[in-house]
Amino acid sequence: MTPSTAFLAIALVLLITMAAGLVRVIIGPSPADRMMAAQLLGTSGIAVLLLLAATLGIPALIDVGLIFALLAAVSVAAFTRRRIGQDRS
Amino acid sequence: MPTLLLLFDLVLLATLIVLALATVLSPEPRRAVMLFIAFGLWLALVWARLRAPDIALAEAAIGAGMGGALMLAAARRAAHRDEAAGGDGDKRA
Amino acid sequence: MDQPTFGLILNLISTLLACGGALFFIAGTVGLLRLPDLYSRLHALTKADNLGLGLIMLAVLPQAPDLFFALKMLLLWVLVMIAGATGAHLIAKRAVRGDGEDIL
Repeated sequence: MTPSTAFLAIALVLLITMAAGLVRVIIGPSPADRMMAAQLLGTSGIAVLLLLAATLGIPALIDVGLIFALLAAVSVAAFTRRRIGQDRS
Repeated sequence: MPTLLLLFDLVLLATLIVLALATVLSPEPRRAVMLFIAFGLWLALVWARLRAPDIALAEAAIGAGMGGALMLAAARRAAHRDEAAGGDGDKRA
Repeated sequence: MDQPTFGLILNLISTLLACGGALFFIAGTVGLLRLPDLYSRLHALTKADNLGLGLIMLAVLPQAPDLFFALKMLLLWVLVMIAGATGAHLIAKRAVRGDGEDIL
């Protein structure tokens, strides 16, 4: 027996959690709030991918999780980037 | 287990459609870009659920990652140009 | 201990760890939705990032087909921790400077 049913149920819970976090992306008062929500979305997505990899038996989904981690880093860096002439500090 | 999988698919698809509508109907460019990044992420999850890891990889890297970063820069530049042209300040909510 | 009992205990531990990870993710999302200002939301976010994903990763680890994939999962977790810490620092610094609202 493998705990794949339990894993699938937990993946479903995480998916609903992600859908709730989307509310913050939509209403978030400042852009930083939206960025943070997108980051949490990426991390929950990695968790769902890991659980799906174990449930569906596709180990290659771990690579997709690695790309998700890269995506979060790249988008946060693009968000906080400043122009050269603007730097005050 | 099949019932659970069906429920999983239903939640996945319903949220995907709501997210796509919110992205397209968003009036503010920067919010639309954020929502587009989230949409690309969600679409990658859908491809993963369809047992297509390669396409999920490409979608996450190109569609959400590179496209999102480029669009963030473009939206920022557009906002700057708007301000420099003496545009209205109330456009940025 | 015989083989089936060991497998059963391993699966039980896996399920419990995954439940703990899901709990952390739920706490992080509730914090993101309910906390009043940006810094406290950032604080809730990083907990969910590091600990929640770590517990989920530990739960999936025994189900990995071979050592290579287990190592890849560990690498994934370390990468997420580095990216999360750096990202949180960047966002907080930008908000402290007070220019997070006007340009982008």
